[in-house]
Amino acid sequence: MPSLDQRDNSNAYWRSLSQLADTEEFRAFLESEFPAVADIEGVSRRRWLQLMGASLVLAGATGCRWEKEEIRPFVDRPANRTPGRTQRYATAIDLGGSAVGLSVTTVDGRPIKIEGNPKHPASLGATDATAQAAILEFYDPDRNQNVYRKTGAQRTVRSWDDFAEFARSHFGTLREKRGEGFRILARADSSPTLAAMRAKLLEAFPRAEWHQYEPICDDHQRAGTKAAIGMPCRPQFALDEARVIVGLDADLLGSHPAAVRYAGDFATGREVVDGQMNRLYVVESCLSITGASADHRLALRSEQIGAFVTALEYEVLDRVLPDEAKKLLWPSEPFGSSDPSHPAAQFVRALADDLFANRGRSVVAAGPRQPAAVHEAVHAINEALDNVGRTVTYTAEPDPQRPSHVAAIRSLAADLKAGKVRTLLILGGNPAYDAPADLALAELLEKAPPETTIHLSLHHNETSALCEWSLPQAHFLESWGDARAYDGTYSIIQPTIEPLYGGRSATEVLGLILPGDAPSARDAVRETFKQIVGEDGFERRWRDTLHDGLLHDSEWPLVTPSVDSLSKRTGSVELLHESTWTGGPVEIVFCRDASVHDGRFANSGWLQEMPDPITRLTWGNAAVMNPTTADKLGVEDQTLVKLILRGRKVEEMPAYVLPGQATGTVAVALGYGRTMAGQVGGSEADDVDAVGVDVYPLRTSDAMDFAPGLVIKPTGKKFPLATTQDHFAIDTVGLKQRAARVPTLVREATLEHYREHPDFAQHAVHHPPLESLWTEHESPGYRWGMVIDLSKCTGCGACVVACQAENNVPIVGKEQVLRGREMHWLRVDRYFKGHPVDPQAVQVVCQPLPCQQCELAPCEQVCPVAATVHSEEGLNDQVYNRCVGTRYCANNCPYKVRRFNYFNYHKNLADPANEVTKMAYNPEVTIRSRGVMEKCTYCVQRIQAAKIEAKNDGETVKDGAIKTACQQVCPTGAIVFGDLANRKSAVAQTIEAQNGRNYAMLGELNVKPRTTYLAKIRNPNPALEKKGVQ
Amino acid sequence: MGALAAIVPLYLVGIVYYGGSPQTTDVGYAPVQPVPFSHALHAGDLGIDCRYCHNTVEIAADAAVPPTATCMNCHSMIATDSPKLLPVRESAASGLPVRWVRVHDLPDFVYFDHSAHVSRGVGCVSCHGRIDRMEVVYQAERLSMGWCLECHRHPEPHLRPPDAITDLDWTSAENPAVLGAGLREKNNINPSTDCSTCHR
Repeated sequence: MPSLDQRDNSNAYWRSLSQLADTEEFRAFLESEFPAVADIEGVSRRRWLQLMGASLVLAGATGCRWEKEEIRPFVDRPANRTPGRTQRYATAIDLGGSAVGLSVTTVDGRPIKIEGNPKHPASLGATDATAQAAILEFYDPDRNQNVYRKTGAQRTVRSWDDFAEFARSHFGTLREKRGEGFRILARADSSPTLAAMRAKLLEAFPRAEWHQYEPICDDHQRAGTKAAIGMPCRPQFALDEARVIVGLDADLLGSHPAAVRYAGDFATGREVVDGQMNRLYVVESCLSITGASADHRLALRSEQIGAFVTALEYEVLDRVLPDEAKKLLWPSEPFGSSDPSHPAAQFVRALADDLFANRGRSVVAAGPRQPAAVHEAVHAINEALDNVGRTVTYTAEPDPQRPSHVAAIRSLAADLKAGKVRTLLILGGNPAYDAPADLALAELLEKAPPETTIHLSLHHNETSALCEWSLPQAHFLESWGDARAYDGTYSIIQPTIEPLYGGRSATEVLGLILPGDAPSARDAVRETFKQIVGEDGFERRWRDTLHDGLLHDSEWPLVTPSVDSLSKRTGSVELLHESTWTGGPVEIVFCRDASVHDGRFANSGWLQEMPDPITRLTWGNAAVMNPTTADKLGVEDQTLVKLILRGRKVEEMPAYVLPGQATGTVAVALGYGRTMAGQVGGSEADDVDAVGVDVYPLRTSDAMDFAPGLVIKPTGKKFPLATTQDHFAIDTVGLKQRAARVPTLVREATLEHYREHPDFAQHAVHHPPLESLWTEHESPGYRWGMVIDLSKCTGCGACVVACQAENNVPIVGKEQVLRGREMHWLRVDRYFKGHPVDPQAVQVVCQPLPCQQCELAPCEQVCPVAATVHSEEGLNDQVYNRCVGTRYCANNCPYKVRRFNYFNYHKNLADPANEVTKMAYNPEVTIRSRGVMEKCTYCVQRIQAAKIEAKNDGETVKDGAIKTACQQVCPTGAIVFGDLANRKSAVAQTIEAQNGRNYAMLGELNVKPRTTYLAKIRNPNPALEKKGVQ
Repeated sequence: MGALAAIVPLYLVGIVYYGGSPQTTDVGYAPVQPVPFSHALHAGDLGIDCRYCHNTVEIAADAAVPPTATCMNCHSMIATDSPKLLPVRESAASGLPVRWVRVHDLPDFVYFDHSAHVSRGVGCVSCHGRIDRMEVVYQAERLSMGWCLECHRHPEPHLRPPDAITDLDWTSAENPAVLGAGLREKNNINPSTDCSTCHR
């Protein structure tokens, strides 16, 4: 890569380092006008077929007369069922012990789409990408479909009855021994019903032990709040009220359990009201979406953040407390003789000033990676700033006595090793894959397994293979259950369909183990609900809770912390000053992955193909480092490196050079390299290569989050990563002019500049008066339009998956993504700004880009068969059945939003397995075949449905009745859609109110896009701006 | 020779055009149904309203084929031992559906909505013909795109008052064109010919 230092890029925008360095690859990608077209040969045919088999496939009627089609009506149609009409059911999804309320759309009795529940406090109508992908997970043909029992190396199919019979005798005997040697390993789960079953189980088997393990958990937060407050607590933030928000290795908008809610609250505070908006500071090692949204970001190694917090605490107390008290607290000045002009020192002082000025209206949050001491110090800072009780409140953690997840898995491993475990019941999870490497759990289970091992799992995974019994777990869309949100709000999980593959929930399995008749899961949940609401009006409250998707006012009560703030403070900020990494071993940071989480979603094609919000990587993970680190280590982008951490090795992992990563750190995402995930995520048995590299072998129980001393050895071998960041680059005038032109695509300003020039966005491009070559279309009725607020967009990618789910967008696989053939109708362009080698200076802008629905659309002019034509309401209709695949339209699209089906991605392999997977399709959207162009249509199926319904009632469509899939899922409400002709519609009102920020991208081409943008406003701290620190 | 060279291609084109047109291939399609249900008897002689069985026609895209229970409303008392009704009784007893054969089958990329048409005043007869005279239901119209567009461009002849929607025998007392124009004006009927109206 040519040297980056020679360029002055401090204010230019760029998409990737290869663009900035003008590498061969980027030029090749751009110069071939339509790169996706080149070289159709060379697809690995085998991988191709594997993906085909696993992707959703539509069978069935092609509409030809000679293909007889049957109609099979109900024998007795349920009262509220209308064939072909959708119904919605409220339910909830639990991930790692925190639930988000959902509203599931079903048609003819099968779930097809998931939306957020607007009434639910953790959702407010939105979801994240993983909840969207739950539909695909539900219909996954690789799901565990049978009860298996392994004897020796032989695995035989059994039935639930066989297991029930076994359980009766086995656990009957075990009960006589009071459960001696009985261990249960479960995932974190917020279900009160499961907790009740657990209590019953421990009562029936008093010597049994229940271990709870999540590879990505909140152990440190529990320990830190316990130290600070006296009991494990969950900090609850009011981000909408906070003027200053500080994230310390905390991804509040991305991976926090309440991230969907927090992103919405953050966006509320992001609105400029009376010339004011919130300000976000982020101090972190790996660039997160929160860091990408920050006004100021300081890239520090994760191990340095403790020192930073100490410094911040000192500086805050310095402003809050009188001198004497301060001396008592802090006998020695932590900064000592350090250099006051050090960027971190400047940052911390400016931050402390800002926090002090916004006492009681700020939030300081520590991330789950940071040790307990940091959480403790953060509580002290919030306390000192009077935030506690205002913007920061606390609720008690459920199950306060339980040991930490790490301690739990450690003690289980010790017991296994000591041969104390006779019966091991694993409820969900995949400990053989994701337990800390030093515990060697997989080895223990393989070499010296307990006499009886039982694994209940959605997929037959690495752990199931080692267990005697493998039981299919019911998905939350097909079972009864309950859950609590991060704030404690209680929801009932109700099934939307009978179990597809005969799975059962953890509650039901425990029912088989406990003495007496097993209650049905529904009865068990009703019993719990009765405990919560009492007998009075039980049935009514049960119905209301089912209907609304939550029990109102059921959030946990607030805990009033009494902090002993006068305890002596110690702590060193030395690490902060000796921060310059100059080579040698680096720090490794283990990250939760936005797609596969901890590995559990590895078999989801939607999530694997969703570009990571920051790296834009699909289908895999990488060792992410910044250009300086890579340079010093002699590592080149997209080459393989060897990772060695205290004797533990990962032989080959692709390196990925990403600006913004702290110097001297390498980030690795967990959850890849699965060998028994399935046809999509990797399966040794079926000869499907694992997607990405498994880094759990480096993760030990004493360093679950980050660790120093990682040695990186370059191998020099090239390894192409399927990153989408250079794809569909909008290139109007060639590379040289790009840097200058990007500011016209994404427009932004500081708050100060915006106050002085409220209409700055409209003056980014100067052009002569525009005259049309064509007769302009008229829209006498509805004029559909969309506006996207760049100030609110965090780039999380939920819209991409929502669009895929709504519009039957195919999965194409890594090889096709490498060719630039991903089919996402909506992409999120991510631009960097700033000097690439200075991680502190990197800024990020995200821009969602669906079809802009031009009024004078270039695509329409060139289609020889009129397959893309203008509708009266302003849509560029795409008529799949007319398209002959010339691709002229895509070539002529200035926004590069059209997608071509190079293959029949929905080919029916006449496989009976596809009978189930095709149920996931949205029946309201045509399945496109090979050779057909497709693109965003503003979810025209939703528009038509709303129009028909309104007109049936003799009315016009009400504003808000139509929500596009991307709009509905967006946690920040960045996307607004509606009728531009109706001046009272939300979209028209937004444009009118934010007129100065509103701009049409490439408006100078006079294509008159119906989708417009609101320019991004940043709110930098003037104190930091002047000193040149960003 | 020259004349033949001119006629043969014309002839072939004509054959293909006519032979492949929906008028030839689709109209008159009358598959054998598992139950010899007579619309002529039920809708014609007995005068049962279409919506007694196809009761979702006004609210949904599909005019659903009735559940077996609808048949049994009457046939648990009438013709209880008719051999023709055996599949219906079997269905009611076993809980398995009667497997009817679809007659009016549009391509899957066409999204037709019954409620949108019925509530605007397009009668059943316009698309389905005189069902009340059919012993075996057959496809009466072409149901091709050109045929749809004829009405979408000039709906007037097919509009009728709401109370006559299911009356297959209804004729306008006044000039149908005048009545249609009046209904169109009154009910704000503006059928769209945009592609996305039917194709999504």
